[in-house]
Amino acid sequence: MVQKQRQDAAINALRMIPTKWAVIIVVAIIGYVLLQPQVNKWFGWSLPSVASLVGDEKPTSKTKQEKPNSVEKTSTPKSDSKQSQAAVEKKSDQDDSRSKTPTAQPRVSDQQVGAEPPSEKFHGILVEIGRNRFESPAGLVYGPGSEEGHRLKHIERHLEDQPKRPGLHGVFDGDMHAFLVAIDDAYSRAKSGGKGTKKIPDQGSTIYEASFAKPIGFLGGQEGGRKRQPPLKKLRVVVRGNSVITAFPFQ
Amino acid sequence: MNSQDSKIIYVESCPICGDGLCRVRICVSNQMVTGFILCDECEAMWTDPFMQERIPTISEETEPQCPNCEQSIWGKNTHWANIGEVCLLGWFDRVQMVDE
Ligand SMILES: [Zn+2]
Ligand SMILES: [Zn+2]
Repeated sequence: MVQKQRQDAAINALRMIPTKWAVIIVVAIIGYVLLQPQVNKWFGWSLPSVASLVGDEKPTSKTKQEKPNSVEKTSTPKSDSKQSQAAVEKKSDQDDSRSKTPTAQPRVSDQQVGAEPPSEKFHGILVEIGRNRFESPAGLVYGPGSEEGHRLKHIERHLEDQPKRPGLHGVFDGDMHAFLVAIDDAYSRAKSGGKGTKKIPDQGSTIYEASFAKPIGFLGGQEGGRKRQPPLKKLRVVVRGNSVITAFPFQ
Repeated sequence: MNSQDSKIIYVESCPICGDGLCRVRICVSNQMVTGFILCDECEAMWTDPFMQERIPTISEETEPQCPNCEQSIWGKNTHWANIGEVCLLGWFDRVQMVDE
């Protein structure tokens, strides 16, 4: 009923103006009707349709436009983009084969870390502070360096045994997230001189050592194989300034 | 990883960090070949495989550098020595070799 009254009012208004102007207005309206969807599409505008102006249709074009720009972007986990930037993530949740060995740091799901959503942090714990540089809650920085090109890639070598490697090779029993949590824990305790810790300065770098209540990994490499891979309860962290050089479990 | 035949050439396990291998690192700069010993784990450095003289890191803020050209030990001019380079340096009888 209301729409019918509006249309009658529009027709009456057209009757009151000169024929020439009425024709121009009608042509303009037809042009708008034909071009409105295309203009919206081309320029990303949100011009309302005539139908919505008259009241036949709800203006939905605006909400349709917002979807691709906002929802899709925010739904993409930030860590994914960081992962590709840093190109350091090979595997994070694999290598469960040795989970028989109890870990001092229980595996923490991403949801449990901090107040921020897990997607905001790399490996669920690190914050990007610069190009390819990530900081842990304890203030340790993981950046470019080492033979592998990035310190995270380097310490990742200690998530797996290298049975052919001469000498000792400490292997952490857990994923990258649990490893980073353990490194932070060891560093924080050793830095403050906690019980069962050591701090050894060495020509520009510092070696921090800390004991854990339970095994955190096992001894790998050729030497570890010879000794039947004994469990390890200590972690050694080598830093230069606050930048991590390497970290691994040791005997 | 430029060592030929995928061999790890090393002097001994690192006396500093325990986990690393002290390997022969080569830097080629200004037509000059520099060899030194570098721990592949903690980046401790020595002038030669006798491992009596450490090459100090300049500061906590600085990455370890080649003692000759002062470029990064991980720069594009550097690589792990192959056996030929170890021989040229006269260090062959000081190293061990294993398959990578
Ligand atoms: Zn070392
Ligand atoms: Zn050099």
